[in-house]
Amino acid sequence: MADQATFESDVAEFIPQLYSAALRMTRNPADAEDVLQEALLKAFRGYHTFKTGTNLRAWLYRILTNTFINKYRQKSRRPAEVELGELEDLYLFKRLGESATGGASRSAEEEALDQFVDSDIKAAVEALPENFRLPVLLADVEGFSYKEIAEIMDVPIGTVMSRLHRGRKQLQRALWQVAEERGIGTSS
Amino acid sequence: MKSDCRKAQAKVYLYLDSEMGFYRRWRVRRHLRLCPPCADGFSFESKLQQKVREDCVEDVPEELLDRVKVFLRDNGPTNPSADPTAGGSDV
Repeated sequence: MADQATFESDVAEFIPQLYSAALRMTRNPADAEDVLQEALLKAFRGYHTFKTGTNLRAWLYRILTNTFINKYRQKSRRPAEVELGELEDLYLFKRLGESATGGASRSAEEEALDQFVDSDIKAAVEALPENFRLPVLLADVEGFSYKEIAEIMDVPIGTVMSRLHRGRKQLQRALWQVAEERGIGTSS
Repeated sequence: MKSDCRKAQAKVYLYLDSEMGFYRRWRVRRHLRLCPPCADGFSFESKLQQKVREDCVEDVPEELLDRVKVFLRDNGPTNPSADPTAGGSDV
């Protein structure tokens, strides 16, 4: 049992990362703040149900994720499960490698990676369908394990795995489009 | 592509996420030692993950943190019946 009196100080360190995650989920600052506030309020009201000594960060992300899903599912009328085609493993690495002209140096692909700016990456993450965006955010940005993500999203671990892996490849496809438009990887 | 490469590449995410058992992990690592192109590919994937992490983290405005604090204080009354993790299970 956690004590509501200490809620504010207990969760303070997580608020910036929760906001950052909410921003990637909702894709705009006003909605992100709404989702964050609603989630914190739910967390505060239910703090007595949190078992002290278990993972507070994962518990908060679970509430944040549920708040986001409940709010936005209503808005978008339950989007159908989006299916993404299968992409080969190491998709972006192979595309960048194929396009490198001349004797590609050992790290030509990694050098190409440096040419993506942070807005490219953010846009590619935010363009992912929700089902794939959430696991990618929770794993790659927030660093949760598959098991933790399964608990946060309340889906089986196999579902987390398949959505995460396919979401990452989809992200790579989006980045490859940017690379082609901008000639990344072809000039070295 | 050799079948060893294909097998290793199929496990790239499990490997980088440390979501595989000791023996399978050891087998992937052994392949990477023997196969520089796959090792480069894995290194690339790892660097991309790191980049996603760095680029998606946002600085939070001070004013927002202040607003959140005020919001929490204004909405203090407790409601012991609420289970905050309930709902949204039909993901």
